[in-house]
Amino acid sequence: MLRYVLRRLRHTVFVLVAISAISFFFIHLSGDPVMLMLPADASDAEIEATRRQLGFDQPLWVQYGRFVAGALSGDLGQSLYYHVPVLDLVLERLPASLELTVAALAFALVVSVPMGILAAVKRGSMVDFLGMLAALFGVSMPHFWLGIMLILLFSVTLGWLPTSGRGGIEHLVMPALALGMSLLAMFARLTRSVMLEVLNLDYVRTARAKGLPEIVVIGKHALRNALIPLVTIIGLEFGFLLGGTVVIETVFAWPGLGRLVVQAIFNRDYPLVQAVVLVLAGIFVAVNLVVDLLYGLLDPQIRYRDGKETA
Amino acid sequence: MNASVSTLLATAVVAAVAAGAAPVLARDAGTLIVAQEAEPVGLDLMRSSIQTTMNVAYNIHDTLFQPNEDASIAPRLAEKWEKVDDLTWKITLRAGATFHDGTPVNAQAVKFSFERIADEKLQSPHRAKVSAFTDLKVLDDRSFTIATKQPYAPGLYMLAYYLPIVPPGAVTAAGDDGYNAKPVGSGPYKVVRWTRGEEVVLEAHDAYWGPKPAYKKLVFRAIPDESARIAALLTGEVDVISGVAMHQRKRIADGGKAYLTDQLGNMPYLGLNTYKPPFDKVAVRQAVNHAINRELINKALFGGKAILTAGAFSPRTFGHDPALKPYAYDPAKAKALLSEAGYPNGFEIRLSYPTYIPQIQEQTEAIAADLAKVGIKATLEPLERAVMWEKYKGGQHQMFIYWWDDAPEPDRYIYPLLNSKSRDYYYKNEKLDALLDKARTVLDRGEREKVYQEADRLIQADAPWAFLYVVPEVFGVAKAVDYQGRRDGFLDMRTAKPKG
Repeated sequence: MLRYVLRRLRHTVFVLVAISAISFFFIHLSGDPVMLMLPADASDAEIEATRRQLGFDQPLWVQYGRFVAGALSGDLGQSLYYHVPVLDLVLERLPASLELTVAALAFALVVSVPMGILAAVKRGSMVDFLGMLAALFGVSMPHFWLGIMLILLFSVTLGWLPTSGRGGIEHLVMPALALGMSLLAMFARLTRSVMLEVLNLDYVRTARAKGLPEIVVIGKHALRNALIPLVTIIGLEFGFLLGGTVVIETVFAWPGLGRLVVQAIFNRDYPLVQAVVLVLAGIFVAVNLVVDLLYGLLDPQIRYRDGKETA
Repeated sequence: MNASVSTLLATAVVAAVAAGAAPVLARDAGTLIVAQEAEPVGLDLMRSSIQTTMNVAYNIHDTLFQPNEDASIAPRLAEKWEKVDDLTWKITLRAGATFHDGTPVNAQAVKFSFERIADEKLQSPHRAKVSAFTDLKVLDDRSFTIATKQPYAPGLYMLAYYLPIVPPGAVTAAGDDGYNAKPVGSGPYKVVRWTRGEEVVLEAHDAYWGPKPAYKKLVFRAIPDESARIAALLTGEVDVISGVAMHQRKRIADGGKAYLTDQLGNMPYLGLNTYKPPFDKVAVRQAVNHAINRELINKALFGGKAILTAGAFSPRTFGHDPALKPYAYDPAKAKALLSEAGYPNGFEIRLSYPTYIPQIQEQTEAIAADLAKVGIKATLEPLERAVMWEKYKGGQHQMFIYWWDDAPEPDRYIYPLLNSKSRDYYYKNEKLDALLDKARTVLDRGEREKVYQEADRLIQADAPWAFLYVVPEVFGVAKAVDYQGRRDGFLDMRTAKPKG
């Protein structure tokens, strides 16, 4: 097991280096940040001077080298736009993004897993049909529209919740709900289809034949196997949620990374974009490592010996 | 079974939150909360020219003079000023003004501020606006002289807007970036804290020399989504919001909880590339001016509140020629002009515009439709801010929309936009350059007005742009607050007070 983890960590380093290189080169393709940074009437001489000062006149691979050298000592550079270290900016916004991501996932799971199980167990019934229909609605609604509707209902009309911003749990409810809706649909359908598959397998029939109560059969034996694909999807979605929630963040004025990085791209704030990409990639890779390790726990058939998965 | 349990749980959570939420939404009456479209980039007024940033910074920093809406100035940190000669002013600061850290606002601080804004390393976007001043001499603690190389009529007005007076000690101690995050100014409000991404909290400066603001605490928040911003105003979470689009105004006006205050304005204009065909011919440029039905756009998009402009000068700017009439909407004349110029069948052209200007999509579509009626087939090219700017500076646009605010002082926009020494990417007119250069140096107001009026006529006739209109900027204000908004649109909240 340990060797497996170490091998994966080595891969992680590899992945992060590759991501940093690719994102670096792509970002620089998007254009010149210096013109945006300087006032409208800056002379060509000033623009050149600033370019030189920031090192943008060097060949790209030299600039990349300098970036890597800085990154290895923990210095990811200074934001061209905000004039503060980019790592500080990212770390400032990261907790908000994590909070929203975890809340959305939690909401989605708490509602969708029972819904999917129920739909599978009562397959073909009204419950199944209605459940999957609700899931379809959830995934079809654009979540910014849903967000605005929630604000109109719960804030403006009922006055129960604040309209936007980050604060206590009352600020988290609506954004998490809006974000979680589409996940809910995906998780519910996935749970349902995996459960359907699993409920017909031999070992479930055996468990039933042994006289175990149905709830134990479903909850303990069947569900555990349904969790494997579910956990995989969660691992993938976690990364998307962390960085891709710019629309929800805009609607709810949530101070997360999504909005930060999109603004940084518009401002051609290279160091900031690079920092966000790296941090998100790092988290993504870490989460998926955890997911892979969880497989071992969830399915005794999957074990890691001598650095290899064995069945 | 499981589904209903989770539904029950969810309902319980919402109920609990609702029960606990009520006191959270209540606020204390001494705090004014303002919501803008974006949060500030920094708080150092010298380092940013972005409106949402300057809005916050103008509450923290004071300048020497207060700019009035008719392009004149009133005392602020400066108490009196006198002309020594055509090039030099002697300015006396008021006694007793202090920075937020208690240090005095004295002539040495003014000199420090002046040198700081001129320092190339700081890259202040306002440097050019005060660069006419080259020499500042401290006479004593409270007075100094400031001189230009040539007579410069708008000089003191520019200082009123663009030179904040900053404390040498605090700036040097914090460093430029540290100061940008937590500035010490001399304005009516001081910075308590800035939680980036959430809010800037300001508190009234107890030792402020001037009238104390009515609100002890001033908070700026950023709510980028317009509907959410309006919702926040309607629920009472915020008191003032900016950026209210036309179609949302009725909601606020009818809601009973807030009112609208609109101030003109912003001036969008349609720039033409006069260096290349077809816009190298003045007849073609005039044809474009006749082809656009601005009255209709005004009614449809701006509720009839916009003012059509005759030329580049807004009718609210000093120096405009009141005798000039806007180009009439006359598609027949436009077609005739085009034929004369050799384009009887019109031509194809690209119309580029930056996507961040409010209601820009509707405006460009309306304009393109109007142009099509006279044979000009315009392909719309929406561009994001950075790309639009790069192409603009590279002279790559054929036809483009940009905007400016219609300042009372013409030198603030006519010169930067149309004098080829400032921007020559699309238009160069030496006669106009000479007029604008001259107008800067004429100190007599009446004489100066005549020069500008000549410039106004020249620009209208030569039509480097298709002139559009001045549109109102609208703020939503809670019923309990009395705030009228400023003509220049800056959210300087020192004049806001509780109503009744």
